[in-house]
Amino acid sequence: MPPVIQAQGLVKRYGDLTALGGATFEVQPGEIFGILGPNGAGKTTLVEILEGLTRPTEGSASVLGLPVVEQPDAVKTRIGVQLQASSYHQYLTLREILSLFGSFYPRAAEPMELLRRVRLEDRADARIKQLSGGMKQRFSIVAALVNEPELVFFDEPTAGLDPDARHDLWQIVREVRAAGATVVLTTHYMEEAEALCDRVAFLNAGQIVALDTPVGLIRSLHAPYRITLRTAVPLALVAVEAIPGVMEAQQEASPDGAVTRVRAGEAPRVVEALTALAAGAGTQVTDLVIQPATLEDVFLSVTGRGLAG
Amino acid sequence: MKPLLGASIKMVVRDHQALFWAFAFPMLFLGVFRLFSFDSYGTTDLVVAGDVSEARVQALTGALEGVDFLDVTVRPDLATLDAAMQAIDDDEAIDAALVLDASGSTVMAELLIAISDPIGSSVTTASIISVVQDVNVALSGVPRAIEVASRNVGGDEVTFFQFVGPGIIGMGLMTFATISLAGSLSRYREEGVLRRIRATPLAPWRFFASVVVAHLVIAAAQVVLLTLVAEALGANVLRGGLGFLFVCVLGTLVFLNMGVIIAGRVQGRGAVEGAANAVTLPMMFLSGTFFPTEGLPAFIQPFVQALPLTHMLTALRGLTLDGEGLLEQGPALLMLLAWVAGTFVLARYSFSFRDA
Repeated sequence: MPPVIQAQGLVKRYGDLTALGGATFEVQPGEIFGILGPNGAGKTTLVEILEGLTRPTEGSASVLGLPVVEQPDAVKTRIGVQLQASSYHQYLTLREILSLFGSFYPRAAEPMELLRRVRLEDRADARIKQLSGGMKQRFSIVAALVNEPELVFFDEPTAGLDPDARHDLWQIVREVRAAGATVVLTTHYMEEAEALCDRVAFLNAGQIVALDTPVGLIRSLHAPYRITLRTAVPLALVAVEAIPGVMEAQQEASPDGAVTRVRAGEAPRVVEALTALAAGAGTQVTDLVIQPATLEDVFLSVTGRGLAG
Repeated sequence: MKPLLGASIKMVVRDHQALFWAFAFPMLFLGVFRLFSFDSYGTTDLVVAGDVSEARVQALTGALEGVDFLDVTVRPDLATLDAAMQAIDDDEAIDAALVLDASGSTVMAELLIAISDPIGSSVTTASIISVVQDVNVALSGVPRAIEVASRNVGGDEVTFFQFVGPGIIGMGLMTFATISLAGSLSRYREEGVLRRIRATPLAPWRFFASVVVAHLVIAAAQVVLLTLVAEALGANVLRGGLGFLFVCVLGTLVFLNMGVIIAGRVQGRGAVEGAANAVTLPMMFLSGTFFPTEGLPAFIQPFVQALPLTHMLTALRGLTLDGEGLLEQGPALLMLLAWVAGTFVLARYSFSFRDA
């Protein structure tokens, strides 16, 4: 099957400011494709170009086989869009909003059926204002599905939600994909991308700095493990750094001794060497934690900084 | 297009603020101004104090009793100035007292006026003096050199409420169209509704048009309802006929355009509503909604004569008060049409979906 999205060298400049510096990638049918990056990285600009809301300064994109710049309305008919924050009429009920939006498309799903999909059927006659934050987000997701789209864009669907509501929403996104749609979502939550996305593109300062599956990205790291070691007496940092497989080591004092943090290319042999080092220093290991690296580590390594916000 | 227009109308109808400006606000004014009565000063209680057995006093009293607005009471007991003064101080039901001393060859009359309103006071004084002159002439038996007959030829007599009725209808259309449309558009922009609409295949102008047409529909309901209420209260506005409706439509178009301009030029919903009020409220007073613009000072007249509401009200009153036809409203209609065209062009360049 041909790709659902083909982006070729997309650039967007606002005067002197380059919001997007040349994005090239493809999204395959049935994927949940994540676009990650800090605020201001160009995620929204990129998504808005693909949605036909913004014209790129340079480059081209085809969405569902259609050139989005030349035929934005044809594209809009077949995609679903959820925008950040609640963006619906405060004087209409949920049912009325869904049937209004349905009237904009040649075919539309039945409002009550849509509300059932996000467990809002008993709120059909409520207004947006009367909904909780999680309900609002669920509604804005289902409002993106009125035209039974083949491709759906979710822009930060879980921003500001508590963990419960967030897991709820992830389930809904998975159901959307299971029903046959391709999903593109932007987020700045790393665990969301890891839990949900088949592939992830990292965007930083308008550039795609990495693109792979979450596992592939983590594996590509030189130091896919984090080892945290607590000892009664500090270990010699030079000796720790000399252990084969250790890429980076830090040490800090703690009330009951010292904490040594290590980034390592592999776990078992490095842990063995660290325990031996502690025994040699005549101290005991009081705590040992081995964690796999996360997408956050990937992001730190490709950008050299953390995610703001 | 039908579900869209239906939804847009629903949104206006469910917006309590829009309903306030459309109906409650003008109704309130119709009710309040119906209570005012500037047209009749009622009757003036006149006490005639003197010796009523005297022929000259009888002749004068009889003539005074013939004046419509004078309610004459004869009080021989108040025949001295002091007694009359005292009675006025004690008894507020006396508006004027004519104290007569008929002991000499000339009856000496002293007129005491206890009316604080300057117009009422001078009208009463002039009327009584003129009656006294008439009686003088009649008693002296000299033929009159000049005889005056007066009649009102300025059209039908117009009550204050008949004047203010069309004014309040025009004002109601203005406040609703400008304030509600500006508020709705800025709310749709601020809530992200416009942006969300842009993400659908619906052409943005269709959404925009539905909001404007919804306001026109409510404005039509306004004209019907306000006209019927004003008519029932005695404003005689139905006399304006279809021409009245036509002028209302022209005016509403200007005010809707103004709403679009404000929503487009001013950022932030609070500021938009403030600006809409700042435009409409002064116009409500300067354009002669409640009182004729002739009462405003000369330096402000060029401004007053440039305002669209001024011309709208001139035309509405020409149709209802003077019973004129639409063609006779030519100059006012031309000004209104110029306003429709001018504000349309400005509105076209003020509001853009691109900012959404």
